[in-house]
Amino acid sequence: MSILEYNGAAIIAMTGSNCVAIASDNRLGIQYQTVAMDFRKIFRMNDSLYVGLAGLATDVQTLDQLLRFRMGLYELREEREMSPEVFTNMLSNLLYEKRFGPYFAEPIIAGLDEKNMPYLATMDLIGAISKTKDFVVAGTAEGNMYGMCETLWKPDMEKEELFETISQALLASVDRDALSGWGGVVHLITPEGVTTRHLKGRQD
Amino acid sequence: MGCGHVFCKMYGSRLPNKTPSYPLKQQVVLATDQVNARSILMYQQNLDKIAELSSHSAMGVSGPNCDLVNFSEYISKNLKLYELSNDGLKLSTHAQANFCRGELAKALRKGPFQVNVILGGYDAKVPTGGSLYVMDYLGSCTKANYGAQGYASNFCLSIMDRDWKEGQTEEEAVQIVEKCIRELQMRFLINQSNFIIKVIDKEGLRTLKYGADPADN
Amino acid sequence: MFGTDLTIDQDILSIGSSKHDAKSRPIGSGCLHAPPLDLNPTSFPLAPCPDPASFTRSNFASACGNSDSHQQVKFAKGTTTLAFKFDGGIIVSVDSRSTMGAYIASGTVKKVIEINPFLLGTMAGGAADCSFWERNLGMQCRMYELRNKKRISVASASKLLANTMSSYRGYGLSMGTMITGWDETGPQLYYVDDDGTRLHGRYFSVGSGSTYAYGVLDTYYRPDLTVEEAIDLGKRAIYHACHRDAMSGSINNLYHVTKDGWVKIHAIDVNDMHYEFLEEKANAMSS
Repeated sequence: MSILEYNGAAIIAMTGSNCVAIASDNRLGIQYQTVAMDFRKIFRMNDSLYVGLAGLATDVQTLDQLLRFRMGLYELREEREMSPEVFTNMLSNLLYEKRFGPYFAEPIIAGLDEKNMPYLATMDLIGAISKTKDFVVAGTAEGNMYGMCETLWKPDMEKEELFETISQALLASVDRDALSGWGGVVHLITPEGVTTRHLKGRQD
Repeated sequence: MGCGHVFCKMYGSRLPNKTPSYPLKQQVVLATDQVNARSILMYQQNLDKIAELSSHSAMGVSGPNCDLVNFSEYISKNLKLYELSNDGLKLSTHAQANFCRGELAKALRKGPFQVNVILGGYDAKVPTGGSLYVMDYLGSCTKANYGAQGYASNFCLSIMDRDWKEGQTEEEAVQIVEKCIRELQMRFLINQSNFIIKVIDKEGLRTLKYGADPADN
Repeated sequence: MFGTDLTIDQDILSIGSSKHDAKSRPIGSGCLHAPPLDLNPTSFPLAPCPDPASFTRSNFASACGNSDSHQQVKFAKGTTTLAFKFDGGIIVSVDSRSTMGAYIASGTVKKVIEINPFLLGTMAGGAADCSFWERNLGMQCRMYELRNKKRISVASASKLLANTMSSYRGYGLSMGTMITGWDETGPQLYYVDDDGTRLHGRYFSVGSGSTYAYGVLDTYYRPDLTVEEAIDLGKRAIYHACHRDAMSGSINNLYHVTKDGWVKIHAIDVNDMHYEFLEEKANAMSS
């Protein structure tokens, strides 16, 4: 089993019309044993920027702490919030710094840029950036999630429809993956603010 | 030690004051086996694998004896140092758990401590009182109501899933721990006759019972 | 005998054998027009190499544990099954998930095999191995009935399966099963697995989630359970295993065996059980 599959995860982010949504499952496992059903994999960087980390749980937590530290420092020095583009490059550099002993986590970045336009990006564990306009997925249910997103996603969804779509895509994907699930969480990012909803998922 | 394991139980007991809005003050029960074994040899059966971290916190550690001792001493002494250099100020249980996690994660990239930890503590300032953190040797840490680690988790998690209730009494919690111990003694390949159980509540850490006296060497 | 000109429409009974050319070893009894009844170990073609047993061992190792992790072909595995005897008969309770690695291939697998109206077998390990050999066992049991004009005992039935397993030892079969039923001696329960182990006992649990099920079973099992209590225990033990074990889940199928044979009690979604038990706990708390 790959080290990225040791703890299990499923994360999706999708764009809508002037909004983005990012969703993850709740499971923390040790291979096939479920240890916790309330594990956080999506982290708030600022009100219009969230990052999801799929992979080895210890590195997910380390990266979260490291990113929070860097964000705080940036905000204190610059007296402004970091834009998604800058954040993506910062994270990419942070990951490449560990090129020969990487953090085993694949990030998904979802947010709104300065013009409130949706921003989605992902990268591999050593920081190769890939930006998309529709959706990004990461985690053990990756194949399932691509299938669901390809069928359900359409351009310019309003926020309620986007929420419904991302939730259905996530729940249907994790129901066919043994290593993720046990409920989920969705963050809907709009210019007016962020709505967080918890999804009731299968508990097996 | 491959067979080492630790499991813990958190329980809440209602205070005499039954005002509905009154927060539940929870306490923590920690239990581990007392075996120190390697290869086919059992060295001792009166080990205390629950390290005291501060007056109101402790952690159960499982793993090879070397890592077990080094890690628990390293953490407890550093926390003591923090207290001494900060005018007796103690870290919260949450902070202690995070310190522990950080050290495990740091060690992971340079020859890890092969220890799994369950850390419990009682904070007077936190509304729920007691709290429990479960972390593995990689440094993945999560707050839980109950947890078990090592081989024991395979047998005990289902028992605790079945029986753990929000706001149960100390007696009920210890009963569940004893059910878990009985199950291990019945099903687990490695014979572990002795267990040690400790409780942390607002009075601090105390040893509830043990199979063999850890001081008896 | 077997020619390369043999096609499927010549004899529908030889579908399996038509796939083999003349050079392969003959399977079955060799008779074209009668189905091969005798499924003895020599009736399967073996790998064309000097040591077929070690070839299968290194390429199709037992699916128990992770011994197949290096293989190209990995087994569909991961299960929780349990069965126990009590004063009111026998309870057989299983999950219904089938996984291939992390992918959940199916959530509606029948893991209880109804061998005949008085015999049940459970399935854990390789699905193909279990279903084939338990079907084969069903046939052997029927042959016994026809020859001896009486039903086979559970002891004999399980012994037949154990004998088959020991004759294939080292060939990488993967099977962990419980054979239960009611015979002249009353309710009986046997555990049989791929290395030929055959155990008689009061209760067993088999599969990746078995340790979780044992946790509940060992703590709450009593021989004097009522039928209702026993059904509840059977379903709870499976639920707790499904909750913690990623490779078990979906539907809980539960059977009750009495002197009149087996009855299927229920097929409940484990997820519905979760909320049912959660509510039960909340009610117990408030009372």
